[in-house]
Amino acid sequence: MNKTRNSLLTIAAIVVFFIFLWYASTHFNKYSIRIMNDVAIFMMLAVSYNLINGVTGQFSLEPNGFTAIGAYVSSLLTLTVAQKHAMFIIVPMIHPFDTWHLPFLAALIVGGLVTSVIAFVLAFPVFRVRGDYLAIVTLGFGIVIRVFSTNAISLTNGALGLKGISESTNLWWSWGWAVFSIIIIMRLVNSGYGRAMKAIRDDEDAAIAMGINSLKIKMIAFITSAFFEGVAGGLLAHLITTISPTLFTFFLTFNLLIIIVVGGLGSMTGSIIATVMVVWGSELLRVVDQPMHIFSITIPGVPGMRMILFSVLLIATMIFAREGIMGQREFSWNSFFNMFRARKQR
Amino acid sequence: MRFLSKLLFIFTIMLFAGMASSSSFAKTVKVGVVLPMTGPIASFGQSAWKGVKIARSLEPTVLNGRKLKLILLDNKGDKVETANAVSRLIFDNKVSAVIGAVASGNTMSGAPIAEKAHVAMLTPASTNPLVTKGMKYISRVCFIDPFQGKVAAEYVYNNLHAKTAAVVVDMAQDYSVGLARFFMKTYRKLGGKIVARTFMQTGDVDFSAQIAVIKSHHPDVIYMPTYYQSLALFARQARQFGLKQTIMAGDGASEEALIKVGGKAVNGLTFTNHFDPKATATPLGKKFVKLYKTKYHEDPSAMAALGADAYFVMADAINRAGSTNRKKINTAVRATKDFKGVTGIITLVNGDPVKSAVIQKVENGKFVYVTTINP
Repeated sequence: MNKTRNSLLTIAAIVVFFIFLWYASTHFNKYSIRIMNDVAIFMMLAVSYNLINGVTGQFSLEPNGFTAIGAYVSSLLTLTVAQKHAMFIIVPMIHPFDTWHLPFLAALIVGGLVTSVIAFVLAFPVFRVRGDYLAIVTLGFGIVIRVFSTNAISLTNGALGLKGISESTNLWWSWGWAVFSIIIIMRLVNSGYGRAMKAIRDDEDAAIAMGINSLKIKMIAFITSAFFEGVAGGLLAHLITTISPTLFTFFLTFNLLIIIVVGGLGSMTGSIIATVMVVWGSELLRVVDQPMHIFSITIPGVPGMRMILFSVLLIATMIFAREGIMGQREFSWNSFFNMFRARKQR
Repeated sequence: MRFLSKLLFIFTIMLFAGMASSSSFAKTVKVGVVLPMTGPIASFGQSAWKGVKIARSLEPTVLNGRKLKLILLDNKGDKVETANAVSRLIFDNKVSAVIGAVASGNTMSGAPIAEKAHVAMLTPASTNPLVTKGMKYISRVCFIDPFQGKVAAEYVYNNLHAKTAAVVVDMAQDYSVGLARFFMKTYRKLGGKIVARTFMQTGDVDFSAQIAVIKSHHPDVIYMPTYYQSLALFARQARQFGLKQTIMAGDGASEEALIKVGGKAVNGLTFTNHFDPKATATPLGKKFVKLYKTKYHEDPSAMAALGADAYFVMADAINRAGSTNRKKINTAVRATKDFKGVTGIITLVNGDPVKSAVIQKVENGKFVYVTTINP
């Protein structure tokens, strides 16, 4: 009974949300739509990063590398042949690649798949180590990707980057993918595999002793998260229409790490809330950079003030909510209704 | 209840105050500025902003007395933030035109938004040739990488009489890759020979591998279009290993830290630049340098001068457009001809300026002016 009710409610909520998106796409200004797209893409990145880092407990620092792969593969596929010839002014592009061209959706999926294949190959050396060592190995991988993209000029146009990528990402693509990835990852977390992932996070040796194939489970988490990170990279590239190696520095990973820790490691609901707070919030905080007129007093704007305020808010969150906003809890319709019931009884 | 009514009272006053202030702003002309005020390239953004502010105090009004209001947004030197900031300026603040950004990669992420919205975007310092390529609303006041590379090659070949050159390229900087490529192209055309080409990455501190390669080829000159940090370290190590050739560089060398870190090793280091405060030829340039010195007690850097030029060209274009119409302003920006700016006489062709470059040199721990090369 509850199960059918809950899934019906979830479907209804998604439908309502997409009606809202339709309203936004026709009534909001382009700036607000852009921020909504940013939020969707970062939400996708945060949720998939949380799968490997929060749910499976593997302290991996790979998202900037995987996002870069997805972004480069999909943009190189959607760029037209003429654009590629015009853009590679240092060294022409290697032959078979410069003639390939795919539509947007296909390019995104290929981007995601290439990223997962690389994740699969990478998983064997990566998961030979645990904990801090895993962090170092994946951090190194991010650097390798960056060095590769600056030096493989005939494939990536090096430091000059790619430009003129079609502006295909709109609210439907970004939120469609974000909702899809959240559903898939939530289903995975709530399945037997998800419980095995949590067992590995809590005590890997105990989990192995209980008969869990730890490499296989970690691999599933790693590859799923790689696929969605690759697709998110493609969406990001098609939103800002230009990419270069400097976009995919460690700071991207760092931002995501902030989001998932503030939201609560292991909680997808937390990641979703924290993404909205961090991405939208940092735009809202731009107000404090501007000169302010309150009555007749003028406060001169200090550029960078929002970063200070942002850091203070982060510190406050970590002091008062040590496990993040949601801890390890998730939103569920049952607890939602219980909340009301409890109130009525009072 | 009393508390509530008090609150309501305050809100009403604030509403009126807001309305009053917005009506007084109606006569201003709003121009957005996107600069990296924080983050890894903040020093460039801060310099450019200083230049823009001085320029504004020299020419605060346009269109016969309407105040020009600048709205500065920080982009942290990041592509996503630049796109957000440009979008915010155009659709939220409803500015008439945009000045910015600094790094070419950042400008390229904001450019499609301005292009689609038909808003003029004028960048002070994005030198990558791809920035304005195929764009109708993106312009700049700095010369582009091909020009700077060409000037360096001509100077090295004609004035230094160097027949062979070694090139050191920073692969991580589009700026360095572009300059090196166009230097080599022109240099070969003139009859010079590139005897060695070596690579480095931003952040490298040990250059012994590159120096060994260069030493074995005995070039007459070393062309190294990178930023001042790498240049200073390279020069020190090259002198230790006995390389005595002149080092030629680009505008990335123009920073006091080059001399502080490089010491005696950078003596003789020559570079192409946008501007020299001691060789300003225009009245506007002289006024700008004077005011800048009294306000900040230092010479304006090339970045500050370019920021000022972006402001002056924009103000001039708004005046010529005769209105705040975005399209008209862009047409006026693109039609800029023989504008006597701070960094020289600027004429825009398809958004790229045709203007002079200066050659500077380090002599006894100081930057000295060598010559001006006209296009």
